[in-house]
Formats: sequence, C-alpha cells, structure tokens
Amino acid sequence: MSGLRGGAAIVGVGTAGLGEAPGFTAMDIQALAVRQALDEAGLALSDVDGLFCANMSHTFPAISTLEYLGLRPRWIDGTNTGGSSFVGYATSAAMALQAGLCDVALICYGATMRSGAGRMVPAAEQPTYEIPHKPRYPMTAYAMAAARHMAEFGTTREQLAEVAVAARGWAQKNPDAFERDPLSIEDVLASRMVMEPLTLRDCCLLTDGAGAVVMTRPDRARDLAQTPVYFLGGGVASYNRAVSEMPDLTTTAAKDSGARAFAMAGLRPSDMDVLQLYDAFTINVILFLEDLGFCAKGDGGSFVSGGRIAPGGALPVNTNGGGLSFTHPGMYGVFTLIEAARQLRGAAGARQVPGAATALCHGNGITLSHQATAIFGRAETL
Amino acid sequence: MNHPLPETGPDRQFQSHVADGHLWIQHCSDCGGAIFHPRVLCPHCGSLALEWRRASGRGTVYSRADLIQKPKPGETEPRHHALVLVDLDEGPRMMSRLPDVAPEEIRIGMRVQARIAGDPGEYAVVFDPEEAAE
Ligand SMILES: [Zn+2]
Repeated sequence: MSGLRGGAAIVGVGTAGLGEAPGFTAMDIQALAVRQALDEAGLALSDVDGLFCANMSHTFPAISTLEYLGLRPRWIDGTNTGGSSFVGYATSAAMALQAGLCDVALICYGATMRSGAGRMVPAAEQPTYEIPHKPRYPMTAYAMAAARHMAEFGTTREQLAEVAVAARGWAQKNPDAFERDPLSIEDVLASRMVMEPLTLRDCCLLTDGAGAVVMTRPDRARDLAQTPVYFLGGGVASYNRAVSEMPDLTTTAAKDSGARAFAMAGLRPSDMDVLQLYDAFTINVILFLEDLGFCAKGDGGSFVSGGRIAPGGALPVNTNGGGLSFTHPGMYGVFTLIEAARQLRGAAGARQVPGAATALCHGNGITLSHQATAIFGRAETL
Repeated sequence: MNHPLPETGPDRQFQSHVADGHLWIQHCSDCGGAIFHPRVLCPHCGSLALEWRRASGRGTVYSRADLIQKPKPGETEPRHHALVLVDLDEGPRMMSRLPDVAPEEIRIGMRVQARIAGDPGEYAVVFDPEEAAE
C-alpha cells in the first residue's frame, strides 16, 4: 500500500469572492480565501512553506501568488492541467509533505472572470488543426461528447437535465450558491439551446471566486483546530490535449485516474459516501460516474434518473451545487476539495450528508484532456 | 551533436502536399500507423521515419456539435455553426465542417469525403457527403 495513504490531511479550507467581486483582482480574493483557510486551521501565512497553484489569468501563477501573499515557499508546484490541477495537487501535496519538502502545503485558486474579463478566457494556445474550423472552447468538446454518448448509448436530453436539476437541488441548500431558484427538467429542456445538444442549463456558471485548501502531515493535523480530513488516495491520467485527439469521446481518462486513486486508497466505488465531480457540463457527471465505476459504461443517463444524485437520492453528488449552480470561476477543481472537507467534518449545514466518512473528488481539465481523482476520509477510514 | 532538422516543418509539409487539392497524411515507415495532426515523430511508436501519402479522403462522422447564435441585426434566423469530428478510413480523427450541409442534416455515422478549402499556406480540410463528392 502506498505510503501516501493517510500521509496528509486537509486542515483548513476557505473561499472568497464567490459570485461577483467587482473591483477586486484574482489575487485579492485568492488572498482572502487563503486567510480563511489558514485562520480556521489555526495557522499563519508564515507557516506555509509549500505552494500549489495554477490559474488562467497569470503567466506565472505561483510566483505572482507567493509575492502577493509574502510567502517564501521552499517547495512550489505549478503544474497546470486545467481545472483538474487542484485535485492533482492533493496527491502532489501529500507527496511533498511526506518527502519533507514542505510542512504546510497551500493549494489555492482565484479568478474574477465574471466581473473582470466578463467572459471565459480561452487558453492562449489552441490546437492548430482545430482552429481553422472556429470551435467554441471549451463547449465544442463537451457538446461532441454528449452527442456521441447519446448516439452510442441512447442517453437523452432529459437524463442530462437530471444532472442540472440535482445540482440546483443541492445549491438550494447552500447559502453560498450563485443560482438557487427552483429548476425543473422542463426548465432545462426549455432553456436556450446554446450548442446542440447542450442548452444554457447544461452549462456551468461563469462567476468570480477563490478557494484555498491547507494540508499538513497527520501528526500536526491532529493538533490543529479542525477535524482532519485524511488523504487516502489519488491518481491522474491524460491522453490528449485536443478533443479531436481523444481516443473515445465516451470514455475519459478518469477510468485510469479513478482506478489509481481507488487502488491507493484500498477502497471501491461502493465505499464512497459523497462525490464531488467537476461538472463543467451535465454530460461530465454522467461520463465520470461511468468511468469512475459507479455504473457501467453507457448506463450513466439512466443511473442519474429519478433524482439518484439529488438531495434525498441514494448517491449524493456535488453537494455544494457544483459548477452548474454553486460557482464556476473558470477552474473549479479546488472547490471539490473544499466541499469534500466540509462534508467529512460534518460542517456542511443543511446539505450535510449524514455520517459521511469517505468522499471522492474528481477534477477535469481543459477539454476532457486531463483527469485527476482524490479520495479522502475521516480518521476511522485510516 | 544537435539533432538534424527535416527539410521543412510538418505544418509546412502538410500545406505543400494538400495544395494539389487532395488530403495527405503521414504514415510511419516502422509501425505502419497513420498520423494526423502532422508531427516529426510517430505518436504510435516514436519513429522518425514518416512518409506522406495521399489519403482516400473518405471518412465517417464520429460526432457533431452545432453552435446556435442569436440572429444578426436585421436578420430573423439564428446563426448556426456546426462542427464535426471525422474518422478517416485510414484511422486518424480530425475536427472539421460540412460547409454545404444544413446542421440538422448532419448525422453521426454519415459517410463523408474530404475537400481542401482556403488559401495557399492556410489550407484546411472540410468535408462533403460522400455521394455528392464523386
Ligand atoms: Zn510508428
């Protein structure tokens, strides 16, 4: 069994600027999220000696971040795999902590896409042989995955809509969620068709927001203010940058990242109490439930039907409301870690999953290009 | 010693090959794999021995998506921009368009034929329904 299992714990989480933060920069709200995460842990900025950070607004995100925060970290990981980066950092932070490269690891992200740029800022470099056809990134990739899934397995728009409706159900229990109005299957189907087969309500929000996660080794974690949330396993996988290079649009690299995470954790899908799956589009949740082993390939549409992943359903997924209804500031991955930690501490308020002892976080990067999975548990799962 | 460079880069080679109006793709002389997008090495086996061959140009629509935008000022109909992924009979997949097919007529599984469109140095591969092409 890997030495990383139980080798690190989340001891603090924070968010700031969720929704709209006009007049603030990404670095401003990121700093506030970092302070909240450190404050609740009972740690100070001066304790942080490991930094794990990526974004889309800065050429050198980690360096700009350490300057703003006044950090002088002895270990930096700025691996940028898109929105999945932060879930990948859970494993690399555990690794750095166990190797003694740092003692307090800070994972953070911030963006002001809604009030700042006012739109999703696409990556500077895009696939050379796709660009002449004027794709709309990232949506084109996900619409094509949805269309292929529908053609191959008979997945329906109603089943996609179930994912959006479930997310909204959870968001209604989360006072921090951006969209909390009631939403029905009919509302999703009747919303504007943006890119066939995806409607506006099949697509994630575009908000401002920042998130931060602090991890330490377990010995230190046990002396801090919050109930430690232990890292049990993690894995990443990636095969392609461009969607046209993806071997099979209905099977993502989550199949491998998930298998690696479960192997490290010594756990199976049926052992998971709550899931946080990066839902940039409704099809993502269906793909990841299949690829992570919660249902068979092709069955994701029927699996999510009947409110199974909604409040009151058998499998709680995206209990904060997800990227679809909670927040989506361009890269969402860090928020999967934050919600998992809150659920495993029993501190998720009205949306708390009773007795949640295990949580799976899954991050997706770019255009189904990179997948990262991390599994966490309470002390009794060690 | 510095690795010797091929005569020109793969993107330029692609542009000069398709200037004859046909789709050309690379094939690996070692493993036989077909390759798109153009590269200096084979992504199947790592070989540097690649050769250009004229492709059949025939393929099958693997998936599709149709961007629907609000009508332009003075127009009533929404604007459509449909994209496809085409699996070439030789194996590789590419993103493209079917410029002469109405978006709602584009079906996953439909057979298509490549056409070279655009200006010299900036050629792109688009597709037509197979029947209409011959
Ligand atoms: Zn080869």
